[in-house]
Amino acid sequence: LSAPAELEGWTGHDVTVADIERQIAGLRQASAARTDGPDLRTSVMTHMAWVPEEWVDAAHETLGGLAERHPSRTILLVPDPDAESGLDADLSLRCFPLHEHHGHVCSEVIELRLRGDRTRAPASIVTPLLISDLPAFLRWRGRPPFGEPELVQLVDVVDRLIVDSAEWPDLPEAYGELVEVFDSTAVSDIAWGRGLLWRRELALSWPRISEVRELHVAGPRADALLLVGWLRSRLGRPVRLAHEDADALAAVALDGEAVSPPRGEDRSASDLLSEELDRFGRDPVYEDAVRAAHV
Amino acid sequence: MARVVEQQPENPLLAGLRLRRTPEPCALVIFGASGDLTQRKLIPALYSLAFRRLLPENFGVVGVARTEASTEEFIERMEEAVKEHGRDEFRQDVWDALAEGMRYVATDFADEGGEDVVVEVLNELDRERGTAGNRVHYLAVPPAAMSTLIRELGERRGREGWTRLIIEKPFGRDLGSARSLNQQLAEHFTEDEVFRIDHYLGKETVQNMLALRFANGIFEPVWNRQFIDHVQITVAESLGIGGRASFYEESGAIRDIFQNHLLQLVALTAMEPPIDFTADSVRNEKVKVLRSLHTPGPKNVVRGQYGPGFIEGVEVPGYREEEGVAPDSATETYFAAKLYVDNWRWADTPFYVRTGKRLPRRETTIAIQFKRAPHPPFEETAADGLRPNVLLVHVQPDEGVSLAIGAKVPGQGMSIRTVHMDFLYGGAFRTGLPEAYERLILDAMLGDATLFTRTDEVEEQWSLVDAITASWPRDRPSFPNYAAGSWSPPSADELIHRDGRSWRRH
Repeated sequence: LSAPAELEGWTGHDVTVADIERQIAGLRQASAARTDGPDLRTSVMTHMAWVPEEWVDAAHETLGGLAERHPSRTILLVPDPDAESGLDADLSLRCFPLHEHHGHVCSEVIELRLRGDRTRAPASIVTPLLISDLPAFLRWRGRPPFGEPELVQLVDVVDRLIVDSAEWPDLPEAYGELVEVFDSTAVSDIAWGRGLLWRRELALSWPRISEVRELHVAGPRADALLLVGWLRSRLGRPVRLAHEDADALAAVALDGEAVSPPRGEDRSASDLLSEELDRFGRDPVYEDAVRAAHV
Repeated sequence: MARVVEQQPENPLLAGLRLRRTPEPCALVIFGASGDLTQRKLIPALYSLAFRRLLPENFGVVGVARTEASTEEFIERMEEAVKEHGRDEFRQDVWDALAEGMRYVATDFADEGGEDVVVEVLNELDRERGTAGNRVHYLAVPPAAMSTLIRELGERRGREGWTRLIIEKPFGRDLGSARSLNQQLAEHFTEDEVFRIDHYLGKETVQNMLALRFANGIFEPVWNRQFIDHVQITVAESLGIGGRASFYEESGAIRDIFQNHLLQLVALTAMEPPIDFTADSVRNEKVKVLRSLHTPGPKNVVRGQYGPGFIEGVEVPGYREEEGVAPDSATETYFAAKLYVDNWRWADTPFYVRTGKRLPRRETTIAIQFKRAPHPPFEETAADGLRPNVLLVHVQPDEGVSLAIGAKVPGQGMSIRTVHMDFLYGGAFRTGLPEAYERLILDAMLGDATLFTRTDEVEEQWSLVDAITASWPRDRPSFPNYAAGSWSPPSADELIHRDGRSWRRH
């Protein structure tokens, strides 16, 4: 995958949504004028991300690996509730050459800093910026404030909420709050995506695995909880979890017997997010696993 | 007393796992491994499959050809081929893993007994790589060698594992030879073991024709004679015949392109919705279209042959001046026809098809031209720039779909111009399109024949070609009749102008 050919940008302090729309249109015109052939705006989805300050670098890194595979309008919302009220915008256009074509395909990145009381009603800021008739995905960085207005509002305008429960400090309790969201929107969990290859591997142990009493997991706590939740819910019986903390899912054992590691490459944060953006409906197997992980 | 059979409960862990289809362990044997196809397409396709971990863990490749070479030399040449023609970045670890299971056998497979040495190598692979006696034989060999090879493979098929044959075109050169090949195959193999390849069916954009038609509610209701004025299908190549003079002199455009690729595109465009996407359902519908094709009379067929001309500013020789071509050759390098699909949906709707070499550019398109709006309520001059709506499927290049619609030109008054709404694969999905051969080789390993041509399809195709060419040996066409770099002989324009229509503008 090639790097962006063009990077157009604009930064504004204390802006309005109308300013943003006008400037984005201006960037597109400028980009088209500088390149040979038309610049197409891709029309796949609006990708929105709620990114508290401490997650900004990680979010940029993920976005860098994502843009070519899911070109879309991305709206990064960076809340800064303690600052003076206002809205700052950092706009950029990322254009990629189209093979065998003249012209480029471009995706727009709108980074908004929501200052002071502007953090209270984020949906009213992003709704006018959603691309009509396309699905909207919300990636929530860090622990979502379940029940708080900013989350409730944004969940209301998107088709799917994407979290990474490995970013949450209070597991498994937080899963208890997450299940409350299931009836409002479809949820994806990147921690669940990370465990897919292991789940496939474990499924091959059927029917021996049906009698398992203890699952030992060396890996992030979220990944371990979801894995045991999955086994409990699918097998319909209690399974004890023995967890050993590690940065990545490194080893799994069933009743003390090691499971051979799955064949497959480590996927980057961008790959994992990209996979979640391909899904639309609810995932009942995941939802059951979360409920059982919380038990 | 009835025996109680204990039922194994279904594995509940499989729910929602989105298991990828992975083929069973097997060995792929490429007959004709020293040819261009192997280097340009087959090995790069296998590398791409390995790159995406889509090949079985226990896998091997055996290259078979007459050319003397060692396995090491073969692997070295194939590595260069992947670096040159592969669509993915070259990763040494991926290549090494694939190359580890590669073998080369120099033998004359057209000779009786030439296959024995291949069988030995395959048995060795079974032991060393766990390929379990499963074989996919890829027959990329000259027509003269096909018959012996099929018999040899049939007589030597192992008792363990399954055997599948992928057969490259040309599949015969007329109905008689195609039938005879089919009969030979049937003596040793069942239909579900035979995969007649038409690589066009492996192209994403060709498969997208099915998605476009049957996954969208808006097209199918107007996909018929009431709303469609006509269909134009173009398979244009700017290349000449390369080093294939001996093959091309025998086949010409009608056997090289029309009999397979063009007729498959006609079938996919005209077919009724299949009840599901299984091999037989899709092929049943395609064969009905082929059976409904009315044989065009001589007036509705155009043959052409290119003379000298210019392609992209470079002077190129005429066909008769190409190396290996007879100076008085009557082989057609251009073929166009007006076809009718005689059924309820398409009665009286012409399908204009054309294919040619040394045309101005490489392009494969399916253009569905709709009937004009019955009564545009504008001044006559307002709609000067307005052309009928055309749904254009770009098979290659610029893969995608565009719809030509009339739009108001901004400004005072009412002036209307044709504009395009475009869907470009590159614009929407940004992931590289897999090469047709990747999909087709994988499907054959999985035993999925949906995108391969069935016996009855291939016989219907040849039967039409035979009917069209029946009178050709008696004619002495006045060739060359179009210059390299031009779009067609004048008679091709006359063919369509007679109906008050014209070929699409390029």
